[in-house]
Amino acid sequence: MDACLAVERDIDKVISKFDEISTQTSNQLDDLLVYVNNIKKELEEQNCNDEVSAAQYLLLTEGIKKIKRTISQLSSDHKDLHGSVSKVGKSIDRHFISDFSSVLTDNDFHGPEKKPLINYVICEHFLRQGMLDIAEHLIKESNLQIEYEQKEPFLELHRILEALKVKDLQPALRWTHANREKLAQQNSSLEFKLHRLQFIELVRQGPNQQLTVLLYARNFEPFANSHAKELQVLMGTLLYLHQGLENSPYSYLLDPIHWLDICELFTRDACTLLGLSVESPLSVAIRAGCTALPPLLTIKQVMQQRQCTGVWNSKDELPIQSDLLKLIPQVEIDLGEECRFHSIFACPILRQQSNENNPPVRLVCGHVISKDALNKLANGNKVKCPYCPMEQSPAEARQIHF
Amino acid sequence: MADLKALEHPTLKVPYELLNKKFRAAQKNVDREAAHVHTSVSELEKCLKQSSTVGDVTKVLDGMVEKLTLLKRKAEESINDEQEAAKACKRRIEHLKEYENLPPGGVNQWKKKRLDRMLVEYCLRAGYYNTAVQLARHSGIENLTNIELFLVSKEVEESLGRGETMKCLNWCHDNKSRLRRMKSTLEFNLRQQEFIEYIRNNKRLEAVKHARKYFSNLDDAQMNDVQKVMGLLAYPPDTELAPYKILLDPDRWQALVSQFRQENFKLYQLSHHSVFSITLQAGLSALKTLQCYKEDGTSRNPNCPTCNKHMNQLAKDLPYAHCAQSRLICAISGQPLNENNPPMMLPNGHVYGQNSLVMMAAENDSRVVCPQTKEIFKFEEAEKVFVM
Repeated sequence: MDACLAVERDIDKVISKFDEISTQTSNQLDDLLVYVNNIKKELEEQNCNDEVSAAQYLLLTEGIKKIKRTISQLSSDHKDLHGSVSKVGKSIDRHFISDFSSVLTDNDFHGPEKKPLINYVICEHFLRQGMLDIAEHLIKESNLQIEYEQKEPFLELHRILEALKVKDLQPALRWTHANREKLAQQNSSLEFKLHRLQFIELVRQGPNQQLTVLLYARNFEPFANSHAKELQVLMGTLLYLHQGLENSPYSYLLDPIHWLDICELFTRDACTLLGLSVESPLSVAIRAGCTALPPLLTIKQVMQQRQCTGVWNSKDELPIQSDLLKLIPQVEIDLGEECRFHSIFACPILRQQSNENNPPVRLVCGHVISKDALNKLANGNKVKCPYCPMEQSPAEARQIHF
Repeated sequence: MADLKALEHPTLKVPYELLNKKFRAAQKNVDREAAHVHTSVSELEKCLKQSSTVGDVTKVLDGMVEKLTLLKRKAEESINDEQEAAKACKRRIEHLKEYENLPPGGVNQWKKKRLDRMLVEYCLRAGYYNTAVQLARHSGIENLTNIELFLVSKEVEESLGRGETMKCLNWCHDNKSRLRRMKSTLEFNLRQQEFIEYIRNNKRLEAVKHARKYFSNLDDAQMNDVQKVMGLLAYPPDTELAPYKILLDPDRWQALVSQFRQENFKLYQLSHHSVFSITLQAGLSALKTLQCYKEDGTSRNPNCPTCNKHMNQLAKDLPYAHCAQSRLICAISGQPLNENNPPMMLPNGHVYGQNSLVMMAAENDSRVVCPQTKEIFKFEEAEKVFVM
């Protein structure tokens, strides 16, 4: 933030100087024009074939001096602004990192092989956000091959969500009905909740809708088992049909939050059903990148200062923690909980990530270490847990899966 | 706010370079017009020395008024341009400043805009101008992206693509002093290409004239190139001889396009790769785990970007995130495993969060189903595990 403020200060300075010079220049030149015009007028009162008199000569030489002075002043005043302008540039360079492309080892991320992939990912992102026309532009300009079938699920989801936002439940109900079996496998209560919203809307319209409400209640038949309690609540609302739902113990059902919830629930369940992520993968990846880059840059700066650039050549691992941790223990890339999608087990003894050849094992006492660590710690058919006093046989340790 | 510092340099530097350019142009304009006024002043001086008539003097004064008016107009216009450019810088700074003072909900909107800004830049660099313009309009970020800069370069690139050097030479002329400081060879290469085109069209005389005009006083490195090009004079345009055939290759125009692009980036201090692709690489790399690439695909998480089919391929060659500290999540709920949600092992060795297991047991008569193996266990069979 200091960075922004510092640059802003310099820019403000430049702007105020420009304002100053702007008024100053036009005032000076206006004065000058008036001055010259006055001289001219004075001369014009005379016969144009007269010789220039001594007084006029003096006046004119005085004028020449004045014009020369003002004009060169003008140009040098403007030139003096250069300092302030270039200060802005220096300030930007000082407070923001100018070249960060060297953070990552070069690879063929820009090669012809990857480009269509990137474009595809971007296109999918646009489709997801419902920016359909922009997606079309991209497809056209980048010669992307996307089949209609690949676009269709996004388009449909988008249509349904738009309808939900204006409180139109029909498209969503049609969709859930068509996918009822799959949704049931997911344990989804989406369809029930949609019907519930529709039902409440009908109840809200008052006693003259009574018959419609009762007829609509038949839609709840498939949910009799799974949502018995909630169904009772819904039927209870019928008691207050005359009095109005807002004056009943059930008034909470009218909360507009349910509409927001249903949009969220629909997105989540529909995405799971289609095997899509809830959030656009591109947004998540970029957000992760924005979190990961600053510490990487800090590491790089420190490394450069200590002149140990060799570590950057190891292509195998992003040097987030391993060797660099010894250099600067405070740098650790934690993308935050919302960017954690897989369990990572790092053996607390060997400080290594587990993998298929070196899986985590649970000792009898419940502590987890890696298999390699267990083998190293084992002494014959005995091993002592490194965290508690329990002695046990290595054979008793069990491989576990996170 | 470290991400601002790391990512936003080009956001500010490009409008600054424009401001700087406008400043220099303004100085030039003011100086030129001032010089004109000076000439008319010296005319007046000369006039006075020759003891001329009042009529002569008024005539000179007329000219001077004209010059002064012109100076005034030019100065005002130029300074106006500078003010505009400075305000453009200020707008960007203000947008960046917003990031700090946003309410919690606003941050996501801001980040969405940032992604859109990155995408606009990516599209511009890739030459998808239509997409870029539409996207910028859609998210209202025209002021925050460098569209204008790229639209100018689009024109130049297209003209080069058609085999015309005019626009690019004009561009070189506009940025002469800076290109010279960068030791750019673009103008020289353009002239070379013009020479080659004369040969291609069998206008050898014009070619020689052209060479005489533009290939004088060159440095040693360029001398070599010139000699090679001049060699063309001895061969027909359809020569099969290797070094000359390459010179006549139409692909050289594409090389000029990409050279122009690079020089233009350098001029505005844009880095070689777009912020978007660097951020994407860093992000994918930081997210990449061994599980995303397990061959049987069982450990894929549909919410994980690197498990996404296309991103998975993109990240294939990127390094894995390294982790010296265990970070465990419950495979059922996705929630972190910690003291509030301790990990529990089912008899088959699979570990889940206590919260998920408790919830499942409550709904299911205190039985739990392992989602991966579909085995059914009693909740009491689950055992605690301790991860340090």
